[in-house]
Amino acid sequence: MSNLIFDSVTKIFGEGSSKYVALENINFEAESGQLILVVGPSGSGKTTFLTIAGGLQTPTNGDVKINDSTINSLSKKKQTKLRLEKIGFVLQSYNLVPFLTVEEQFKFVDKLKNQNLTEQKMHELLSDLGLLELLKKYPNQLSGGQKQRVAIARALYTDPDYILADEPTAALDTDRSMKVIELLRDLAHKRNKIIIVVTHDLRLKDMADKVYQIIDGKMTILEK
Amino acid sequence: MFLAIKEMLHEKLRYSLIVVLIFLVSYLLIILTGLATGLANLNKAAINEWDASSIVLNSDSEGRLQQSFLSQDEVASLPNNGTRISQYSTLVKSENGLKENAQLVALDSKSFIFKKLKITSGSKNIRNNAGVVSDKFKSDGFKIGDYLLVANSSLRIKITGFTPRATLSALPVVYISPDTIQSLNKGVTNAVVFKNTLNNSKIPKGTNQLSIGSFINKLPGYSAQQLTFNFMIGFLYIIILIVISIFLYILTVQKLPNLGVLKAQGVSTQYLVLSTLFQSFIMSVIGVIIAIILGEITAITLPSEVPIVIDKSNIIVTGIGIIIMSLLGALIPIRQIAKVDPYKIIGG
Ligand SMILES: Nc1ncnc2c1ncn2[C@@H]1O[C@H](COP(=O)(O)OP(=O)(O)OP(=O)(O)O)[C@@H](O)[C@H]1O
Ligand SMILES: [Mg+2]
Repeated sequence: MSNLIFDSVTKIFGEGSSKYVALENINFEAESGQLILVVGPSGSGKTTFLTIAGGLQTPTNGDVKINDSTINSLSKKKQTKLRLEKIGFVLQSYNLVPFLTVEEQFKFVDKLKNQNLTEQKMHELLSDLGLLELLKKYPNQLSGGQKQRVAIARALYTDPDYILADEPTAALDTDRSMKVIELLRDLAHKRNKIIIVVTHDLRLKDMADKVYQIIDGKMTILEK
Repeated sequence: MFLAIKEMLHEKLRYSLIVVLIFLVSYLLIILTGLATGLANLNKAAINEWDASSIVLNSDSEGRLQQSFLSQDEVASLPNNGTRISQYSTLVKSENGLKENAQLVALDSKSFIFKKLKITSGSKNIRNNAGVVSDKFKSDGFKIGDYLLVANSSLRIKITGFTPRATLSALPVVYISPDTIQSLNKGVTNAVVFKNTLNNSKIPKGTNQLSIGSFINKLPGYSAQQLTFNFMIGFLYIIILIVISIFLYILTVQKLPNLGVLKAQGVSTQYLVLSTLFQSFIMSVIGVIIAIILGEITAITLPSEVPIVIDKSNIIVTGIGIIIMSLLGALIPIRQIAKVDPYKIIGG
């Protein structure tokens, strides 16, 4: 079992008159096997929340803990390594390296982690996600939905403890958005991952195990 | 360097364009350095062959051999292990009408310079109006046993041997004996050349000791010529630096969002920086190698009148110079890579 905890996290940008409180005293908890949705209007602090969860930014106050160890005090180098090994990012765009084929996106991860291509694992993942016939294609030869599915597969490939997704469905129509979220939910359940999806699309709410809402930097849990 | 290679193979056009640019500038650099060396050699090759370290000239000569005349007293008070040089530039003709501007240089056949002189064919004999001449004469059609008729004089010099790399101020040298030059310049001593640098106390008043290096620098036109070349060469290095910087900068700016996401995905800055350096290195190596090959071909195909010398040291210096420039050119892009904040990219 792994977990991710925000313990009274506050993030303040700027100083003096330009001071801006993006996140205010946030408490958040996620456990393996859960798909968690974070919803909120534009500018409410969703991306800020996600980047702090991924160690891309440090909180002004409070602690972020993965499996009970604090990550915000780690060095930049260690945070990068942590992201490579424990966290998968899925973003709205630019997830894939444009000059690598789908297969090479995975090979690249192998090179980074100094491991041999675990062909079987890749094939399993890709067939799970219905991507096997795309192996030799470059990102610009894929549809938006296919790109996001490959991005999810790539994020999963390192076998991370958790996946952070920022508006992964923003470029997709409702149907495809539903499919991608469904996929993420199944992965969370079957592979026992923590999957956190940030979105302003409230229609996705019903798919999640837990829904948090951020408004003006304050987070509340939405009862289902 | 998986990422670097894949990227170059995928974006062949872009990267080939940079390689072509590097190649063109390197080629120009190799040709220019070759010309600079070739022209420098034409000026000083004979002096280098002397293998001396200092030369004593008249104080008022400004270091010019032709303007320097030493009195018999001055010569006599100098150590006697030096080689006395008497010089006369003139036009010489062969009996069958070949012409050549030449530097006649008279020296004693027992002098260390004459003993050092190498011979490519014939014999090393300057007795009785014989001369050992630059092999430039040979390539221009003169033969052993031919007579050189000195313009405005009844002197006839018989060619007994050819010596390599014997040019002085861009003219081929004819080595003759002091007796032979007597009728042309009354046997005046222009300078005395020494194997070792003399103690200043041994330099008579009215004369001046120069190191061979500074003597060469004072050869007519030599410094100006080399300065011009060095200026052009220096400029080319700056141009290649700027061109590579700009290209890599543009390429990097285009892929900053991708780089940001890669960082978010856990790819270290170090990896991305090394990747860029590697690309820069590979491109410059390819460009330089093509330039070297084409430079060599050019040097071979150019007519022999073009004094171009592409030697190992030229190639090594230019090659390393270009590679260093291209690595330096990667510095600005590297700064961008280091600075790109994944959060900024994601936050959009
Ligand atoms: N580096 C920063 N400096 C100052 N203010 C910032 C910075 N980054 C974010 N903010 C502010 O923090 C607030 C939250 O930004 P955030 O990007 O988290 O919003 P969001 O919920 O992801 O919005 P959207 O749905 O539009 O992506 C915004 O008001 C933004 O202007
Ligand atoms: Mg956002």
